[in-house]
Amino acid sequence: MIKIIKIGFFTFFCLPYIVMAQQNIHTNSASSAKTWETHVDGVHFSLTQILPEQVQAFYVNRGFTLDQIEPYSSSCVYMSVLRNDNAPGTIHFISNNWSVLVDGQSHSLVSVEQWVQRLTTNNTKKSSLVAFRWAQFPPEQEYEPGGDWNQGMFSIGLDASAQFDIIAQWDIEGKKYEAKLQGVQCAK
Amino acid sequence: MRQNYRECSVRNNYNIQASLIITLLMVSININAADLPPLTHELTSVNKRLAAPELRLQNMDEEIVDIKDFKGKVVVVNFWATWCPPCRREMGSLERLYQATKDKNVEILAVNIGEDIDTVFSFMGTVEPSPDFEMIFDPDAASMDSWKVRGLPTTYIINPEGIIVYRAIGGREFDHPEILKKVLALTKQ
Repeated sequence: MIKIIKIGFFTFFCLPYIVMAQQNIHTNSASSAKTWETHVDGVHFSLTQILPEQVQAFYVNRGFTLDQIEPYSSSCVYMSVLRNDNAPGTIHFISNNWSVLVDGQSHSLVSVEQWVQRLTTNNTKKSSLVAFRWAQFPPEQEYEPGGDWNQGMFSIGLDASAQFDIIAQWDIEGKKYEAKLQGVQCAK
Repeated sequence: MRQNYRECSVRNNYNIQASLIITLLMVSININAADLPPLTHELTSVNKRLAAPELRLQNMDEEIVDIKDFKGKVVVVNFWATWCPPCRREMGSLERLYQATKDKNVEILAVNIGEDIDTVFSFMGTVEPSPDFEMIFDPDAASMDSWKVRGLPTTYIINPEGIIVYRAIGGREFDHPEILKKVLALTKQ
């Protein structure tokens, strides 16, 4: 009986703490933007909030109109970073395959290609679309150990103030790895 | 000819204003150095013998620059854009690498993706030290496929035979002694 109580105590109190200890949340004192980050199997993964107005400012400066960029800027956009510090090999990922969970339910991501299609109208400048495409976090990439990395915008496709969990997945020679961020909040 | 563009005083006021706007914008979108990971100095050796793809684009003076013309030299090819935070962070270190190697048979080609000459010229005034190496322009990002670039910045180092020998995805400290040593070693092959 005592053994069962000990296991129960460990499962409900200690284990969640150990899992959560892998995740770090910090707030930028100047901008108030929150960053969720974790480091798993030699790979760093983080999401930093970007306000919808900040996304709009970035793309209006690249030639979009406010109306053109509004669907994207209001889709819960983060600055995503993935970096291979010292994983046991070359990591490969397809970011559109990453899992997003809202209240435990799976949520589908809109791919970069789909966003480009949505934003392509007769009035959209080609240079704006080029900037949009290459400012996004890469849809597919390979990183060598020792610091290969990218930083890019990453749309979750949720409303402002929504909360979600995200599991970033990659493989090394076919073996799967993942890093989870929990309770991530969309910027308001 | 690059010097000719820089000496174009008519654009100076406009460029200073544009530089300020770009700087303020970058601050406003919270791409704060404190949030960013440190730049490393590792280069990945490319073990497959891959010839550098074609690269023939206009420079700041609207003259064609062809990578084929640099055969016999070590060439550092850097794909970048002014709005890309790690590209901005590494640009000064690329210039320091250039200053340390330009008399030793090394060239740097910075391939700007999707922007115009005025935008890049304005940005160059914000970099310390300001880049003196060759800037070339790929307005349609047409070279990205052939060079297998999936994210910015991406940098390749090509030996004097025109073979890609190193690659770096993401920002680097290009003036780090270890990178300098590798680049100079290629000139002696």
